[in-house]
Amino acid sequence: MALEDYKVDMERCSQCSYCKWIPFDQVKSWRFAKGCPSIAYNNFLSYSARGRYAVALSLLNGQSTYSDRVVDIVYKCTTCGSCDVSDKICRYNLEPLEMIHELKFRLVEDGQVLPQLTAVIEHLGKENNMMMKSGANRGDWAEGLDVKRIPGESAEVLFYAGCRFSYDEELQETARSAVTLLKNAGVDIGIMGVDESCCGGRAYDMGYKEEFTRLAENTIKAWTAAGVKTVVTPCADCFRAFSRLYPPLGAKFEILHTVQYFDRLIKEGKIKFSKTIPMRVTYHDPCHLGRQGEPYVPWEGKEKKVKNQIVVYEPRRPRYNGAWGVYDPPRDVLKSIPGLELVEMERIREYAWCCGAGGGVKEAYPDFSSWTATERIEEAKSTGAEAIVSACPWCERNFIDAINAAGEKLKVFDVTDLVKQAI
Amino acid sequence: MALSREAYRELEGIVGKENISDDPALLDCYRYPLSHTAIHIGPYYRVYTPRGAAVLLPGSAEEVQGIVKLCNKYRVKFKPSSTFWSAWGFPLEDDTIQLDMRRMDRILEIDDKNNFAVVEPHVIGATLQAEAMKVGLNTHIHGPGASCSCLASATALGGLGPDTLYMGHHNENLLGVEWVMPDGEVLRVGSVGSGLGWFCCDGPGPSLKGLVRGMIGTNGAMGVFTKCAIKLYPWPGPAPLPVEGKPPAYKAVLPDNFRVYTLGFPAWKAWADSCYLIFDAGIGYVAHRQFSMFGRDLKGAMVRILSDPTKTLSDIEELLKDPEVQKMTEDMKRDYQIVLAGMTPGDIEWQDKALDKILEETGGWKVKAMLEPDLYNWSLLYMIRLGHKNLNLVYGGGYDGCFGLGGTPDFGASGEPPRVEQATAFKVEWEKKGNVVACGGDAMMGGIGGMGGGGHALWENFTHFDPADKASTEGTFEFFNATDKYGMEKGFGPGMEKMNDYARWTDGKTTPKEIRDRILGAAAQPEAFRYQRKFKETFNPNDLGDGYYRTLDDPIE
Ligand code: SF4
Ligand code: SF4
Repeated sequence: MALEDYKVDMERCSQCSYCKWIPFDQVKSWRFAKGCPSIAYNNFLSYSARGRYAVALSLLNGQSTYSDRVVDIVYKCTTCGSCDVSDKICRYNLEPLEMIHELKFRLVEDGQVLPQLTAVIEHLGKENNMMMKSGANRGDWAEGLDVKRIPGESAEVLFYAGCRFSYDEELQETARSAVTLLKNAGVDIGIMGVDESCCGGRAYDMGYKEEFTRLAENTIKAWTAAGVKTVVTPCADCFRAFSRLYPPLGAKFEILHTVQYFDRLIKEGKIKFSKTIPMRVTYHDPCHLGRQGEPYVPWEGKEKKVKNQIVVYEPRRPRYNGAWGVYDPPRDVLKSIPGLELVEMERIREYAWCCGAGGGVKEAYPDFSSWTATERIEEAKSTGAEAIVSACPWCERNFIDAINAAGEKLKVFDVTDLVKQAI
Repeated sequence: MALSREAYRELEGIVGKENISDDPALLDCYRYPLSHTAIHIGPYYRVYTPRGAAVLLPGSAEEVQGIVKLCNKYRVKFKPSSTFWSAWGFPLEDDTIQLDMRRMDRILEIDDKNNFAVVEPHVIGATLQAEAMKVGLNTHIHGPGASCSCLASATALGGLGPDTLYMGHHNENLLGVEWVMPDGEVLRVGSVGSGLGWFCCDGPGPSLKGLVRGMIGTNGAMGVFTKCAIKLYPWPGPAPLPVEGKPPAYKAVLPDNFRVYTLGFPAWKAWADSCYLIFDAGIGYVAHRQFSMFGRDLKGAMVRILSDPTKTLSDIEELLKDPEVQKMTEDMKRDYQIVLAGMTPGDIEWQDKALDKILEETGGWKVKAMLEPDLYNWSLLYMIRLGHKNLNLVYGGGYDGCFGLGGTPDFGASGEPPRVEQATAFKVEWEKKGNVVACGGDAMMGGIGGMGGGGHALWENFTHFDPADKASTEGTFEFFNATDKYGMEKGFGPGMEKMNDYARWTDGKTTPKEIRDRILGAAAQPEAFRYQRKFKETFNPNDLGDGYYRTLDDPIE
């Protein structure tokens, strides 16, 4: 769809402001009631989904033109989708997150770009990773790991590490542990190492749709050629790209996040714990595993009206509002670890506060990104937890950076790390 | 007159560079589309409120004071708004300075001994309620719902809502105000002004509350309210609310001292009688004709959709064919929702018995389908948090209320046929033209009465349309014109649909003086507007507010 196709949504947005907050039913305190990091940090109405609808409409109507402020408004959004969940509490026929993506795409098409993002995307074009590192080193994280290499060897399940786990030395151990745990549980697993390339999901959220499409098509081709049927990834960003953005391009793979696989293996008795971890932890739902991790439902149709003016879709359009995201598997895994106490933050599941690493914000607006992470750290601390656990290396990296910058003591773990410790 | 660079720089000096902008696209976010719920004007297709000269985000009363003084120096109009619900909070004239009060969002105090909270402008119903509940208290949440500013409702509007039966109108709950007056001086109104704390908005000495608020609130047209105290009420339930379920169909299972019922009645007279009996018995925590806003024919199907996370509007036609939904819809034809909250086990037992007796006397019933656990727990949460209020707009994106059968509960219920039915039949005819949602005519929503039964019941007949559709928007406007005429002929009184015509006109700007004078002059008590003119001359000498403040220029009689 083009930005113009969302013009009716722009005109139907009722400026109710729900998109700024977590769903009101879920508000437990003043301190942790906000949902949209962008307006919470920037304050002007324009930095909410409502504001972005208005900015887009103003541009489409020729009432305003591009300016530094417009560029700032459009890109200073983590594309976390909190607005989308809250909007859909009352609005059954708007798609603010889709529109936000289209607005970013349009700015990129029109050359209204941020130098920080251009540098990342140019590098991505050459080296196929988001980490400003050499593509030749992508497989280094798995050096010495006794695991099959696809496509040379064949395996039932492909483990896809993703850019962050492939290159972030502090986090790499998590990916190695995940592979070992799966393998030891009897999963016939393989990796692509240097032949793996970026999933493109982060480029998509930055507004670079063409770049995303190139990467997605390459990956689909490579997996198809290698006979891949099932993919497991420890990265929430990749999970969402594969499960939500790839199917419209023809991908037909079973996609699992490692937490889902661990959950299954624990319940089947194939992963057993022998150690106790006496620790109180809280779990952060990554946006891309939680509210944006809902399964893709194919749909092609059009709007129609019933009862004169009720806007519906023919055929029935799927609703993505976070209801069916991946929330319980990571919690079930954590709860199954002896000694571990899971305490919840106020904003969880579909209305979790974003870590601040998405949408190109970490790359282009480090202060905003760090502030967003710090807000989550504060929320985690308010539970009395010793550690914040997540299932996405981008969230974990942003938390580690924010904690280090603030001199905090909170520990950061991936679910995998704790599973490994408890074995 | 556009804002001079000099004035801009001075304003920037007050709030800081990051809290002021005059970027055109950003300013367009502060323009309200009058094509939908502009409350209560239009709808005007693709008409927007004027673009401001700049938007400022003040962070303190001192900053507000500085801004207002500068506005006086440069003779620039200013318009404050907190949560920007509807067109009220947006400028009436080009080049007005828009104050977005968002940064002033603190709950400064909750006094659980004296039952009040002191709040800044951007504190909303949901957050104040959540904090109050932690200490066993609750706040009135006014009609527009949990997303809206508590201060704006208490200081600048009337502030009525579903829990008004127990917690009053917000203007009644106002216990003191800090007011940056239109000339930039600060006045603390009520006991706080005498250094006695926030417990009373009147006195000592002559009360200024009426002056500060105006007749039904100043609508942001007379200075800026920077904090206020609000009375809180007992909350005999848990904190936080134990919410469960998948979005958007959240539910709450509350302890046994809570009840929520949808009551149905065999006739409108019985409906009204039940209201009086409820007042007499002194029962009820929240009481509102709520789900009727989806329309007489559609409400059963709608509550099924809204309480089930797998359903969407696309299910409506199928649901309408379901005999059980049809039965439920019929049972809910003359209805309202009521929440009972027992302060003790004996209290809830007594309230339950009293309600049963009232139903027995009036021939009413508890709608059975609404007692199913899913619907029960969904509606309980809905009524207490009021966090789904913008379902008003769920159908096509636009709604406004019309008629406004305001008065005692039997005002709508009496007449031959009852006025509710007259309004219903009139709307059904217009629904046939296709421009508004065909919902069965009666989509009348509103409270059953004020605190302890005082005050009045008010029903606005919701009219749903598509603001992105020219024919629908313009057809709705035509309907409202016809409604206005019909309501006057029938003696219903002035309709809500034209309530703000005196202030904002078809181009989104100030209503021409001659029309404004005619509208305000025809009001039931025009003398109040002449007094308000005197207040304006005294307190707002440079006329930096806007036409939402109701004034008449002819002499006081
Ligand atoms: S919640 Fe939706 S309808 Fe409401 S202001 Fe935000 S985008 Fe618009
Ligand atoms: S995607 Fe996230 S950051 Fe962007 S507007 Fe929505 S809630 Fe705000």
